Amino acid sequence: MNRFDGFALEEALRVREEIPDTCIDVVSVGPERVEAVLRRSLGMGADHGVHIFTEFDGYLDPFTTAAWIAAYARSRDYDLILTGVMSGDDMNGQVGPLVAEMLHLPCATSVIFRRMMSESGRIYVEREMEGGLRDVLEIKLPALLTLQSGINQPRYPSLSKMLRANKHPLDVIPSVSLESPSIHLAVMQTTLPKKMRAGRILEGTPQEKACQLLDILQRHLIPI
Amino acid sequence: MFQSIVVIAEHAEGQVRPITYELAGFARTLQKEMPSSDIKIIVTGERIDSVAEIIARKTGLGVFSITVPGLAGYHAEVYKNILTDVLTDWRPSHVCAAHSTQGMDFAPGLAARLGAACVTGIEAIVKQDEKLCFRRAVSGGKIMADVFADSPMILLAVQPGCFAPAPADAAAPGPVKQLRMESAPEQSFSRGIIRKIMHASAVTEADVIVAAGRGIGDKQYLDLIYRLAALFPESAVGGSRIVCDQGWLDYAQQIGVTGCTVAPDLYIACGISGAIQHVSGMRGSGFVVSINKDSKAAVFNVSDVCIVEDLTTFIPILIEIHEKRCAAKLQ
Repeated sequence: MNRFDGFALEEALRVREEIPDTCIDVVSVGPERVEAVLRRSLGMGADHGVHIFTEFDGYLDPFTTAAWIAAYARSRDYDLILTGVMSGDDMNGQVGPLVAEMLHLPCATSVIFRRMMSESGRIYVEREMEGGLRDVLEIKLPALLTLQSGINQPRYPSLSKMLRANKHPLDVIPSVSLESPSIHLAVMQTTLPKKMRAGRILEGTPQEKACQLLDILQRHLIPI
Repeated sequence: MFQSIVVIAEHAEGQVRPITYELAGFARTLQKEMPSSDIKIIVTGERIDSVAEIIARKTGLGVFSITVPGLAGYHAEVYKNILTDVLTDWRPSHVCAAHSTQGMDFAPGLAARLGAACVTGIEAIVKQDEKLCFRRAVSGGKIMADVFADSPMILLAVQPGCFAPAPADAAAPGPVKQLRMESAPEQSFSRGIIRKIMHASAVTEADVIVAAGRGIGDKQYLDLIYRLAALFPESAVGGSRIVCDQGWLDYAQQIGVTGCTVAPDLYIACGISGAIQHVSGMRGSGFVVSINKDSKAAVFNVSDVCIVEDLTTFIPILIEIHEKRCAAKLQ
């Protein structure tokens, strides 16, 4: 499971602890291997796993992923949609805000604290900004939040729930049944990042490397 | 075909954020790839006259100052409403915003509304097969991907610290055009900005910082980090976000975009992967040493000295050899 999505699922489980008749669907797009992530989500305590299935195992751009999730979610009328702030591999930070826009939902990104305001049907959120500042908002539900790491400590799946999760049927939705967007991003080439500094790699045994490092620091007049 | 570039200025509390000038620099670089194109800068907010004038003077570019009554600070819903109206009318080919917690909050949604593509985390402009591509980090900065968007309008979220600001010696200030628009939020309501209580952190003043990343693996190894730091006078221990999220270090010790920006004489990165969010908080350091057992870790690209070792075994050896040398000197 994408690390940031772990925070989203944990936060959903905490909402259910506060509002007991809450139902949690976990939705994920991808090929067969996505099933393991959904099973783990059930093991953590989600109610249903929904697999938007595609055989394609290459680069899925955020517009496509978001369009499929939005197409599924449109009929479900969720009160709250939670996502991670980004994925650890593609690092786009786009799927959450795109789904929100496609469903015409208000959206707050980088959320580091939230509280349900049950009387007013709103949610109180604090968005993390640069330099230790937080942007505070009250948002009408339904809404979509993308969660920043550190908002909670995701729990581990329980063994009994994992055993049950393995027998629990998943909803499999073929992506071909959902509308795809006309806009696409393509990755034309990948390269290794450029070196911004000398990047001298020390060779030898750990002891030799330690001696070299101490010599280098001395030459750079770093008091030690 | 005539194309145009629009820059969305970032500002807060009457101050222009440095990324705004970097966006102007990025737009000028982009312009060179597109003959016959122009650049416009949009500033929006409630009291923005002086901000608009400063930007026009420093960049020499035309500024559209859109006053929105009640828009005291950044607000996602209002920004998206205002910018959708203006950009639907202008139909620019490229819209440049900051890859910041502000820019990333509105750019993808704005793109969806405009039917535009969106590319985030941009660090460079490159050409592949005559196609204009945008280079961005993936997989925690281990790999750079050149992304092409096949769309008549593209939103570009540009990583801070990657493009030189537009030259400050603009011959003449750009023209400022005043506009006024109305938009009130309907679904989300700002309750102001709070400062998370943060003690004046030792990391911003230290000459030497030893920083711990996810690679330390377990809280027990933090002790090694503190022992290594103790070798240096005027030193402090910092860490990446993930170590603070774990509760192993205080958030006041976090180095990176959402934490502290530091520039010590010596920075020793221990088990830090080197994602851009962390690097942008330490790239001003005088000398950088990295210890990581993953020889492909991105942090080695921003290091002067790279040590491919398991820090849990290497740091004790380093400390031991240093102590032996000190003892030998005393004899």
